[in-house]
Amino acid sequence: MDIISQLQEQVNSIAAITFNAFGTLQRDAPPVQLSPNYPEPPAAAAAATTTTTTTATDGDATAAFPEQPKQLSADLVKAAKQFDALVAALPLSEGGEEAQLKRIAELQVENDLIGQELQKQLEAAEKELKQVQELFGQAADNCLNMKKPE
Amino acid sequence: MTFFVDCIFLSVALLTTEPHFWQSDLTVLLPRSLPSSHHLRSSNQAPSTFDLPRFPQKGLRMATATYPPPPPYYRLYKDYSENPSSAPQPPPPIEGTYVCFGGNYTTEDVLPSLEEQGVPQLYPKDSNVDYKKELRSLNRELQLHILELADVLVERPSQYAKRIGDISSIFKNLHHLLNSLRPHQARATLIHIMELQIQQRKQAVEDIKRRREEAQRLLKDAFVTLDGQ
Repeated sequence: MDIISQLQEQVNSIAAITFNAFGTLQRDAPPVQLSPNYPEPPAAAAAATTTTTTTATDGDATAAFPEQPKQLSADLVKAAKQFDALVAALPLSEGGEEAQLKRIAELQVENDLIGQELQKQLEAAEKELKQVQELFGQAADNCLNMKKPE
Repeated sequence: MTFFVDCIFLSVALLTTEPHFWQSDLTVLLPRSLPSSHHLRSSNQAPSTFDLPRFPQKGLRMATATYPPPPPYYRLYKDYSENPSSAPQPPPPIEGTYVCFGGNYTTEDVLPSLEEQGVPQLYPKDSNVDYKKELRSLNRELQLHILELADVLVERPSQYAKRIGDISSIFKNLHHLLNSLRPHQARATLIHIMELQIQQRKQAVEDIKRRREEAQRLLKDAFVTLDGQ
C-alpha cells in the first residue's frame, strides 16, 4: 500500500484503539466503594463462597482487570509511535506544486525529443530490413534458377 | 420441495425438447396446479422414472414481458452512411454541475476545505504547509486530548461531550491533511512514470542502433566472402 493510505489506516486504527479502550474499561470496570460509610455489598461475600466454578471466567476477568488499561495504553502509544515513523518516512520533495509542474514540463520535452529520435531509428531500421529482405529474395531466386531442372 | 424440483425439471424439459417454444421475449412459466405425479411421490411407492408433467399448452398460464423498444432516434440516422453530417451530433460532454438521479454532482474534483464542513482548522492556513511537522504536532495533540478525556471521565463524567468534539475535530484535521497530500502524490507518480518511460525509450534507441550496426557488419562480411570466392 502506498504511504498515504498507510497513514490513513494508522489514523483509523488509533481511533479504533481509543474507543475500544474506553469501551472495554467502562464495560468491565468492577464497582468501586464510594465512601467508607457504605457497607460492603453482602452479595459479594455470598457469591465468593457458593459459586466458585461458574464464575471462574468472571474471576479471571476481574483479576486481570488492572492489566487491561496497561495493555490498551501500550497499544495506543505503539500506534502513535508507528504513525510518527510513517510521517518521517513520507517522501515529500520540497518545492511544492510549481516545482513539480516545472519538472513535468521538462520531462515532457525530453520525452518528445527521445520519441522523435526513436521514431527515426525505427524507420531507418525498417527500411534496411526491407532492403535485406529484397536482396535475400533475389539471392534465393538466383539459387533456384541456377539449379539444373531434372 | 418436490414442487420446486418439478419446476426445474419442467424448464429443463422445455429447453431440451421444444427449443422454439423458448422465444426471445421473457416468458415466465407458472404451473397452475401441482402435477398429478406429485401425489404418487408423496406415497411410499418409489416410481422408476420421474413423471414429467404433460407438455404445457393447456395446463400452464404465462406471464409475458417483452423488452422495451429501442429509442426512436435511430430514424434520424437513416442517411448516415452517405452524409455523416445530416444526422445530429452526439451531445457534448457536461461541464460544471449536473443532476443525476436526484443528486447534484460536479465535474471538478476538488477537496472541500475544512471551513465548508464546519470543522475548525487547527493547523496554520499557509499556501505551503509543512506536512510532516503539522502531522506530528496533530498526533501529539491527539494523545493529550485522549489523556484529558480519560481524566474527565474519572473526575467529571458529565463534561465528556466537549472533549469528544475536540478529539473528532483533530481526527478530521488529520484526514484533511492526508487528503490534501494526494495531488502531490499524483504529480510525483507522474514524474516517476515519465522518467521510467524516458529511460526505456533511450534503451530502445540504443538497442536499435546496435542491431543495425551488427546487421551492416554481417552484410559487409558476407560481401567480402562472396567477393573473395
